[in-house]
Amino acid sequence: MNSSLLLSITTFAYLVCALFYLAGIIFRYRPLLVSGGFVGLGALLIQTAGILLRWKESYALGYGHAPLSNLYESLVFAAWAIMLIYLIFEFRTKQRALGVFPALFSFLAMAYASFSPQVDSKIQPLVPALKSNWLIAHVIACFLGYAAFAVAAGVSILYLVRKSSTANPHPAGVLALIPEPRQLDEFNYQLILFGFLWLSLGIITGSVWANSAWGSYWSWDPKETWSLITWLIYAALLHSRSVQGWRGRKVAWLSLLGFVCVLFTYFGVNFLLSGLHSYGTQ
Amino acid sequence: MQQKTGLGQYLYQSLASMKLSVFIFLTLAACSLVGTLLPQGITEHELHTLYSPGVARIVDYLGLNDLYHTGWFRFLLFLLTLNLVICTLQRLPKTFKQLKQRDETITPDKLTKFAYHYEIQSPLPRDQVESTISSIVSHEFGMIRKSQDSEAFAGVVEKGRWSRWMVYVVHLSVLLILIGALMGSIFGFKGYMNIAEGGTSRDVRLYRGDNTVTLPFEVRCNDFQVSFYDTGAPKEYRSDLTIIDDGKDVLSQPIIVNDPLSYDGVTLYQSSYGAILKRAEVEFRNADTDKTHTMTLPFGEAVTIPGTSDRVQIVDYQQNMAQFGPAVGIALLKEGQEPKGSWILVNMPQFHGNKIENYQVKVIKTEDGYYTGLQVKKDPGVWVVYAGFIAMLLGIGLTFYTSHRKLWIWAGPAKPGKNSTRIIVAGRTNKNPIAFEKDFNELRERLENDLKLQSVKG
Repeated sequence: MNSSLLLSITTFAYLVCALFYLAGIIFRYRPLLVSGGFVGLGALLIQTAGILLRWKESYALGYGHAPLSNLYESLVFAAWAIMLIYLIFEFRTKQRALGVFPALFSFLAMAYASFSPQVDSKIQPLVPALKSNWLIAHVIACFLGYAAFAVAAGVSILYLVRKSSTANPHPAGVLALIPEPRQLDEFNYQLILFGFLWLSLGIITGSVWANSAWGSYWSWDPKETWSLITWLIYAALLHSRSVQGWRGRKVAWLSLLGFVCVLFTYFGVNFLLSGLHSYGTQ
Repeated sequence: MQQKTGLGQYLYQSLASMKLSVFIFLTLAACSLVGTLLPQGITEHELHTLYSPGVARIVDYLGLNDLYHTGWFRFLLFLLTLNLVICTLQRLPKTFKQLKQRDETITPDKLTKFAYHYEIQSPLPRDQVESTISSIVSHEFGMIRKSQDSEAFAGVVEKGRWSRWMVYVVHLSVLLILIGALMGSIFGFKGYMNIAEGGTSRDVRLYRGDNTVTLPFEVRCNDFQVSFYDTGAPKEYRSDLTIIDDGKDVLSQPIIVNDPLSYDGVTLYQSSYGAILKRAEVEFRNADTDKTHTMTLPFGEAVTIPGTSDRVQIVDYQQNMAQFGPAVGIALLKEGQEPKGSWILVNMPQFHGNKIENYQVKVIKTEDGYYTGLQVKKDPGVWVVYAGFIAMLLGIGLTFYTSHRKLWIWAGPAKPGKNSTRIIVAGRTNKNPIAFEKDFNELRERLENDLKLQSVKG
């Protein structure tokens, strides 16, 4: 039993989870949605074990660091965080029909981590810059934020689809189990506010860390700047809800724009721009 | 403010608008984006090699090669600050008024106009209804403030009043961060110093501009070490530093990346390193006399060749000169003459250029050392920024987890002369209406059940 086996099982389980949710919506059959939730929970638990095991394995190799130090490990953690936040969200709101996108995002993150030749899954030692207790706080905060934004993006897509399908309050077919737009709008807002808190914490811990490591809490490094761009988009979104008539569709589009920025902050900066976070490409 | 002329009034209203805030957020995001796509902080020379003359002129004019420090970008930040302050000033009195208003007349007509409200009819008399409602509501929400001037039972109960202030805490935090950053850029500095092992320095070269700051104390690098993993990746960079103040050693401390040293408001960070030559054993053969002397030359110190008045000194060192391996720059100082010098290739003793004037020179042994590259920073604004960070997290966190909820309750005789009671409950929340609606309806069920239960008993 090793961590890569557990994480491979997780990848597969997230795909199954996404298919259950999708089938549940298509066939309008609630037990499929409930099964999706249980598969998701099971995958999350296996993945938790996998992450902890990988942590232990890094000690066995003599490196001894939390599995949050390179692109592979961050992708695995991103998948974990998305499913965690989604399941808490599902448990609290009792809405089961919104799981397709989060499960799909988790699956894609795991699949990319596992199968892309660009991503090295070896446990590597930490370079000096990463040897800090801030690493764990910074990465966890950022990815909880990203994960909440991912779930919100999923809700926004469903909102836009739901909204465009006429004004019928009780649509039949695929959309039958999707909550009404007003609720989706509110869920979107709640998730984004939650993500905004974590993104702020992520930027702030990164900033304090940079100050203790390099003596500068802000240096307009591309990653920093892109996280600020993301923060500004979501700040705009939170404020635009207070402007008359800006709820609903505009907010959903802003949420999607914000998520595109999240993706660029995460991948685009690593692959296209250089800077302090270049080890994120390994 | 109300007395201003048309334009002033218009400007003030525009600056107070939330639409402007959204616009500034998106503009700042777009401008920051441009800055990440174009290389920043490049020299004039690089600017002209990167772009065609026409484009270079535009980039230079708009400052796109140093975007985040341009006047117009700072103006955007200033506009954001102004918008934030004016928005706050305009809304703060309203919040004050809203929260100060504790006594209000509660009538059934008013309550039935609320978006959230319901009516319950109960056969129980008013007093009994009052005690039932009070016990349930105060358990969920807190004490009910009863209106005195009404015949009926009327009251208000609210929770999370302070949640209304949190948005101002977030705004204050942004202000603090910007003020702290401004303080840092006015009263602080940021630069670097390279110190050879055993060397001492007090001069800091600044990153911005062509200036040097002289520290009020000296820094000595006692030792520098770098270690590697088996994979060849660097494991640790470590400098042993001593601070010398007023000629005395006052503080000795090793620093590594992520663990800097602070003294007198100045912080020193491990940032880079490089190799230097500590000393070299060099053989000089005088071609005129055919005499050979082998001497140890410490870097930068002139040594006299025995039996002559000629002095030699190592002035420079390169680890790999033009792919020929290490080279030592040695100068020869003859009395009454200009100094002469040459690069001596260490690994190629037969190289014809290994001579200075009448001396054939051979480097027998070199002893390498390191210099440490320190980042040096003084930033008196950093604590203001950190205070802003804490305020921001508190503000956003509490905004997320709390809301201001208020209930209005009225209970009076359903019809004059009868003993039954009409109850109206109305509610309002400033956030999360869906969760509030759920709680509001749950409260209704509990009230109805309890009242029903009591009327059955009674």
